[in-house]
Amino acid sequence: MSQEDDIQRDDPMIAAEYALGLLEGEELLAARGKDANDVDFAARKAWWDNWFAPWSDEIAGAEPGAHVWEAIAAQVNAPATSNAAPASASNVVLLDMERRMRRWQWTAGITSAAAALALALFITAPGTAPQTEEAPALAASQAPLMASIPIGDTPLRLGVTFIPASDEMLVSASGLTADGVHDHELWLVPADGSALQSLGVVVPGEERRVALTQEIAANMGDGVKLVLTREPIGGKPEGVDAGPVVAEGAFGQV
Amino acid sequence: MGRGLARMNDMSPDKTAEAREALRAAMVRLAQGDSAALEEIYSATRVKLFGICFRILGDRKEAEDALQDVYVNLWQRADRYDPQRASPISWLATFARNRAIDRLRTGKVRMGAVPVEEAAPLPDETPLADALLVDAERNAQIHTCLKGLDDNAQTYIRAAFFDGLTYAQLAEGADVPLGTMKSWIRRGLMKLRACLEASEAA
Repeated sequence: MSQEDDIQRDDPMIAAEYALGLLEGEELLAARGKDANDVDFAARKAWWDNWFAPWSDEIAGAEPGAHVWEAIAAQVNAPATSNAAPASASNVVLLDMERRMRRWQWTAGITSAAAALALALFITAPGTAPQTEEAPALAASQAPLMASIPIGDTPLRLGVTFIPASDEMLVSASGLTADGVHDHELWLVPADGSALQSLGVVVPGEERRVALTQEIAANMGDGVKLVLTREPIGGKPEGVDAGPVVAEGAFGQV
Repeated sequence: MGRGLARMNDMSPDKTAEAREALRAAMVRLAQGDSAALEEIYSATRVKLFGICFRILGDRKEAEDALQDVYVNLWQRADRYDPQRASPISWLATFARNRAIDRLRTGKVRMGAVPVEEAAPLPDETPLADALLVDAERNAQIHTCLKGLDDNAQTYIRAAFFDGLTYAQLAEGADVPLGTMKSWIRRGLMKLRACLEASEAA
């Protein structure tokens, strides 16, 4: 590995690695976190994306099946209860979430700092303009889900929030510290008994915001279980069984 | 699907510019909450974006799921597109590739596990050269800058882009230590950045 040492892996370099898709595990999560929270990093990532984009001209086009548009149209037209713009739909979720989060903080005893941070992260996200209209009732399926996972005998908790409106997950591990030997990987336990889905490696001491694929988001729901396993640094290696479960919790409406 | 934007191939430069403007306008309308604009965008860009998803994921079913995810997500968060900053098609192409890569990385499963060489041949219905409307000048510039790199850096930076491979996968494929692969690519990226920045300053 000594040959890497003379190369400076600064933020613009990490942004390029992230743009190309070279990263995985902990490094990937760290890059995603930076992209969501660090304006300079996000701009540099966009700069690389913009330079690489012309290459996609070399990829041959292909015609998807007709069912794809039908599925998109069905999803887009599903919440036809209001003709509000998507942006205001997420504002509704936001306002409602703030209210619920306060109650939840109080009842479930999450560290208020963690919840506040998670909320702040969400509020500063792009596209959440101030709410101007009367908020329509929040559909149950759009309500955020939260899980508070106790860590061993400690008073610490891992806070996980799922935001259905944008298929995003906030992971708050602010009270936790790394032991330098292990990483902890978070898993979703699908209610239908299918294989566990990795939600990525938890980074101690940080707040993370992660976009979920449709495949994972589809399994999110009230009562769905989450487990935390102890893994080698970087997360569960491919082809090996996951490590021991060290903590678990379940999503609930707040 | 009939109304709205024309497909973006087989077009003269004028038509191409026109189509790009129409796409930009549709993106702006979508961001304002006009969900009908999504159908226009889909009709104009699905072949391009599906080709990208298919290339990255190597499996038709996976790629169709990814494509669905791309447009639904686009509808939910159309406000992320800044019409001042990027051409709409290059932004969409990047968006689709990023979502496809996210799918590959989340769960750490190489979906379909079909190496690109063995994947079903892609229907080549979009001529390569005029398929997309990215800035020809920028295209030439990155090509020139890439040419200035060592062979290994050129090869594997492009492989990462086109096949969605990680450092570890590239190292395994090339049968070299991980550190060697990282070193090749990082040296290349440093040079590439310097070259591209110099071209912007010029």
